[in-house]
Amino acid sequence: MAERTGVIHDIGYRGYDGPREGTGALALTLYVTGLRHAFGLGRSGRSKVLPFLLLGLGVVPAVIVVGVVTMVRLNSLPVSYAAYLGQIQMLVTLFAAAQAPVLFSRDLRHRSIVLYLARPLPPALFALTRWASLASAILVFTLLPTLVLYGGGLLAGLDTGDETPVFLRSVALQLMLAALLAGITGLISSVALRRGFAVVASILALIVVAGVVLIVQEIAAYEGIEAVGEIAGLFSPWALHNGLAQAWEAGGRSTIVLTDAWAWTYLATALVVCAACLALLVRRFVKVGSR
Amino acid sequence: MIDTSGITMRFGTVEALTALDISVGDGVTGLVGANGAGKSTLIKILLGLLEPTSGTAHVLGHDIATESAEIRRLVGYMPEHDCLPPDVSASDFIVHMARMSGLPATAARERAADTLRHVGLDEERYRQMGGYSTGMKQRAKLAQALVHDPSLVFLDEPTNGLDPAARIDMLQLVQRIGRDFGIAVLVTSHLLGELEKVSDHVIVLDGGRLLQSSATSDFTQHTGGLLVEVLGGDAERDAFGEALARTGLTCRPRGQLVAVDPPPRDLSLHALVRDTAADLGLGLVRIQPDQAHLEDVFLTQGATHG
Repeated sequence: MAERTGVIHDIGYRGYDGPREGTGALALTLYVTGLRHAFGLGRSGRSKVLPFLLLGLGVVPAVIVVGVVTMVRLNSLPVSYAAYLGQIQMLVTLFAAAQAPVLFSRDLRHRSIVLYLARPLPPALFALTRWASLASAILVFTLLPTLVLYGGGLLAGLDTGDETPVFLRSVALQLMLAALLAGITGLISSVALRRGFAVVASILALIVVAGVVLIVQEIAAYEGIEAVGEIAGLFSPWALHNGLAQAWEAGGRSTIVLTDAWAWTYLATALVVCAACLALLVRRFVKVGSR
Repeated sequence: MIDTSGITMRFGTVEALTALDISVGDGVTGLVGANGAGKSTLIKILLGLLEPTSGTAHVLGHDIATESAEIRRLVGYMPEHDCLPPDVSASDFIVHMARMSGLPATAARERAADTLRHVGLDEERYRQMGGYSTGMKQRAKLAQALVHDPSLVFLDEPTNGLDPAARIDMLQLVQRIGRDFGIAVLVTSHLLGELEKVSDHVIVLDGGRLLQSSATSDFTQHTGGLLVEVLGGDAERDAFGEALARTGLTCRPRGQLVAVDPPPRDLSLHALVRDTAADLGLGLVRIQPDQAHLEDVFLTQGATHG
């Protein structure tokens, strides 16, 4: 090792009299850090690979769709916003399942949560901020390809008046979807602290269940028993999203066609599940703090 | 700095703390007790992470029940157990922790660099913490507790797992924090001897009860007894001790020395020691006053736990 040539002068301990940020600013800092970490920014190079690979895979087909619309001069998108998300639902779910442990398992597993909780942010606000970071990351993930579709479609000459309301309704449903996925995967990762377990459990809870729900809905539609398909849809966030996207014309496709009452039931279910996940997350972190 | 009155903490049927009344001032205060005496529980209550079953406490003038966020803004906490994420560098982590304590970005970076230098992490600070030795991890943990310039720090077993040399370094650092940095320190340890060297004041807990709280000098004052060493080996030491015992004194061997308890009546202990040695024909090597140690608190006050 090279010999040290510089001299470090010990100027003694200096205190800090400057400004200190309030709780809101702290939560914002934590939120932004969490959002960056969900995409591997500010972490090791290796941790950026998966989120950006998934994001790329999610956006490229949208670019192709826009290309087709431009060249063939279609007067509507062959795959509209919500339907497109239905197509990439595997990628979105994988992203949520893989990145939720980054935000929810790490602090608990390495016990660095103790250091956070010994600081001004209350445990409940910590849990909610983490959830907000993950939900925003998922929203960015779904919003990006739909923006490509919307922007590209308008540039290709699609009618603004036709597309905008559909697009906005899809964004509203994406908000609901992101909140739900973040709640469910976050809750799973805060309990299953080993990353592998958390990812597998999230995939089971979201992808496998969504597959089963879809099969049940297809069979119900074929047999002509709508009620079974409608009830089955309540068990998967993706079925809730796709069902509502079809019912409320957000450019979605769904096997089942919801009546108004069922649509509201779907929305209520989404809100209740999301609230339950948040309550459980808050409870989990408050309990950890007192241990 | 800290005042508690009647703090009681029950976990189910177990009473971890019983009606604790303590007060902590400036400088370094040692919180001593066996494992399970309630030291960590008390710190968690003072941080507002645990709600006591009954009783009230004030930290830096703030009530723990209603102003715990304000308390956590002004104090630092170094937990006992490992709590560092392995895939982050100490430098990045300490900056992040400074921000989580409310420091703006620029100040957080400056203070993190300063603090890491004070705790003695140099080039290692840019390496991921997973590869740190126990000593380096303890320093990083200490740095995160100091980075926001708190008015008071809670250090829970800072010497845990350290080798003797690192232990001495850490204790000197604790002493500097209290004396040079001007930050009040509440430091816990289950090793009593350690704390008597660095703390100004000692609080002894036993089984969740307050055993004693006083200045360290009160614990380590001269007892009136003597330590005597004579030439020769164990046989000479024992012969000398037995001869002294025959004159009515209480003696016990302590290493190569004979410890003589304070004489019951007014008697010239030094003369008696001299005469006894002369009678036996033994050479006296040294006679020194015996000091009390923190351990004696447990022996004399009937501790309930080992």
